[in-house]
Amino acid sequence: MSDRTASSLPLKDPLAPQGPSAFERWWLKSGFVNLLRISGLTVFLAAWEISSRLGYLDPLFASSPSLIIEKLFDMIRDGSIWPHVAASANIAGIGFALSVIVGVPMGLLMGRSLTIRATLEPFVTALNAAPQVAFLPLLIIWLGIGISSKVALVFLGSFIIMVVNTEAGVSQVDRKLIETARSFMANERQIMMKIVLPSALPYIIAGMRLAVGRTLVMVVVAEIYAATKGLGYLIFQAGGLYDTAQVFVGVVVLAAAGVILNAFLRWLEKKLAPWQHVQGS
Amino acid sequence: MIEVSNVSHGYPGRDGTTFFRALSDVNLTIESGTFVSFLGPSGCGKTTLLRIINGLVIPTGGEIRIDGKKVTGPAPDRAMVFQEFNLLPWRTTRANVEFPLECQGVPSAERTKTANRALTQVGLDRFGDFFPHQLSGGMKQRVGLARALAVGPSYLFMDEPFGALDPQIREVMQVELMKLWDNDRKTVVFVTHSVDEAVFLSDRIIMFGTSPGRIIADLKIDLPRPRWQDDEAIKTSPQFVQYRNDIWKMLKQQLHQMPAA
Ligand SMILES: Nc1ncnc2c1ncn2[C@@H]1O[C@H](COP(=O)(O)OP(=O)(O)OP(=O)(O)O)[C@@H](O)[C@H]1O
Ligand SMILES: [Mg+2]
Repeated sequence: MSDRTASSLPLKDPLAPQGPSAFERWWLKSGFVNLLRISGLTVFLAAWEISSRLGYLDPLFASSPSLIIEKLFDMIRDGSIWPHVAASANIAGIGFALSVIVGVPMGLLMGRSLTIRATLEPFVTALNAAPQVAFLPLLIIWLGIGISSKVALVFLGSFIIMVVNTEAGVSQVDRKLIETARSFMANERQIMMKIVLPSALPYIIAGMRLAVGRTLVMVVVAEIYAATKGLGYLIFQAGGLYDTAQVFVGVVVLAAAGVILNAFLRWLEKKLAPWQHVQGS
Repeated sequence: MIEVSNVSHGYPGRDGTTFFRALSDVNLTIESGTFVSFLGPSGCGKTTLLRIINGLVIPTGGEIRIDGKKVTGPAPDRAMVFQEFNLLPWRTTRANVEFPLECQGVPSAERTKTANRALTQVGLDRFGDFFPHQLSGGMKQRVGLARALAVGPSYLFMDEPFGALDPQIREVMQVELMKLWDNDRKTVVFVTHSVDEAVFLSDRIIMFGTSPGRIIADLKIDLPRPRWQDDEAIKTSPQFVQYRNDIWKMLKQQLHQMPAA
C-alpha cells in the first residue's frame, strides 16, 4: 500500500529544495524583462520601417531603419565616419578624464573639510544650477575655436557632476569607521585614502555614469560651432542638407557609445565595490 | 597603569548653548595586568569614559595618565574592540587585521605575518581571504579582536564587544577571551551590560550610575583563575552567585533612586 503511494508520487526528491526551477528563476528574473525590451524595440523599428515603405512617413524627413543602417555601413566602408568619431572621442576622452581627475579630489576635500566646503559651495551650486552650454561663447573667446574650448565645455559640464556626487558619497561614509581608523592612529591622509575614498567609490562611479551622458551632450553642442569634424558637426551638417539618415547615423553612434560606457561602468562598480551588491541579493 | 583624575565630560546639547553632563568627576586607578569591567545602565557614560581613556575624546575636565604620560590622543600601544565590529567591508579578513599596521607604517611582509598570527590566535586562520559579509557575527568580532591584538597593545579596550552576539556564541567568546588573556594578561577595560559577563571575566568591576554619569561602586572579584578551563563550575560556584546577587541588589537600589524611571 505504502509502496504504491510512493511510486505514484512524481519522481521528485521531497527533500530537494522546492520552488521555481533554474529556468523559471532565470525567466522571472531577467528573461521576461529582456523579452519585453527586445519585442518593444522590434515593434517600434518594424513600425517605422513599414510606415516609411508604405509612404505613411516621408523617408526624406523621417528616414527609416534600413536607410540608416545602409548609410552607417557606407560610411564605415569608405572610412568617412572615422575622423568624426576620432575627433569626438578625443574631446570626450580628455574632457571626461579631466573632470574625474579634478572633480573627485575636489569632492573629497569638500566632503571632509568644512572650510573648503563653505568656500567652494556657492560656486559649485551656481555652476550646477546654470545651463553650462551658455558658457560656450565665452570659452571660445578665451580659448579659441580649437579643441581647447570644446574640452573646456565638456569639462565644465561633467566635472560639476563628479564634484557633487563625490561629496554626496563622502557624506554617506560611516562615522564609526572613521573613528575606528582614528583609534588605530590613521592620519587624515590615511583616513581619506583608506576609509573615505573606498566608501564613496559607488557614488563616484554612479557620478561617472551621469557624467558620461553629460559629456556626450557637451561634445555635440561644442561641435555645432566652428568645428570641421566630429559627430556633432556631422549631425548638424547633415541636418542642413536634409540628409536625415546621416543625422541618425550620428545619433546612433553617440547612443551606442553612451550605452557601452554605461555598461562598462556598471561592470566596474560590481568589480570594485562588490560589498555594495551583497545586501540586496 | 591608567590614572583617571577628576574627569568630567559634557557634550554640547541639541540647541548648542546647553551642556549635557555625561560624566562627573570620575577618579579611578587601574593597575597594569588587571581585567576591569565597566558595568552600568545605558547612558551612564561608560563608552564616553572608554573613548576618553583611549584618547579618542578629550574630556572637558580632568585628565588621563597612562604609565605616567598624559593622554592627548590614540597611541600605538592601545587598541579598541567595538560593539558593532566596525570592519571595513571592502577588505578581506586579513586586510582588515592589517589595517592598523598599515596606518603605523609596518612593511608589507611583516604585516601579513603579524595578521596571520593574530588570525590564528582567534581561530580564523582559514578565513583570511573571506570578506566580512561572508562571516557570522561571532566570526566578525573575532576579526575585530584579531585586529586589536595585531598591534600588540599593552592596553585593550573593549566596548560591549559581545553585545551583538547571541547568548551561546557570547559564552563561547567569553571563554576564548579568558584563554587568550591568560597568555599575556594585558590590561583590559571591558564595557558590558551583563552582570554575569562582568563577574566571569573581571578582576574588578566598576559600577556606574546615571545623571550625571559617575562611579557608584568598585568591587574586587576574587574568583580563582584560570577561568576558561571549567567555566560551568565557576558560574555555578557559591562565590559567583554571591557576587552576582550583590551586584543585582546594587543595580536595583540605583533604579529606586532614579527619579520616576
Ligand atoms: N557625541 C555625543 N553627543 C552628544 N551626546 C552624547 C554623545 N555621545 C554620547 N552622548 C550622551 O552621553 C551620555 C553617555 O553616553 P555613553 O555612550 O557614554 O553611554 P553608555 O554608558 O556607553 O551607554 P550604553 O550602555 O547605552 O552604550 C548619553 O546620555 C548619550 O546620549
Ligand atoms: Mg556604550
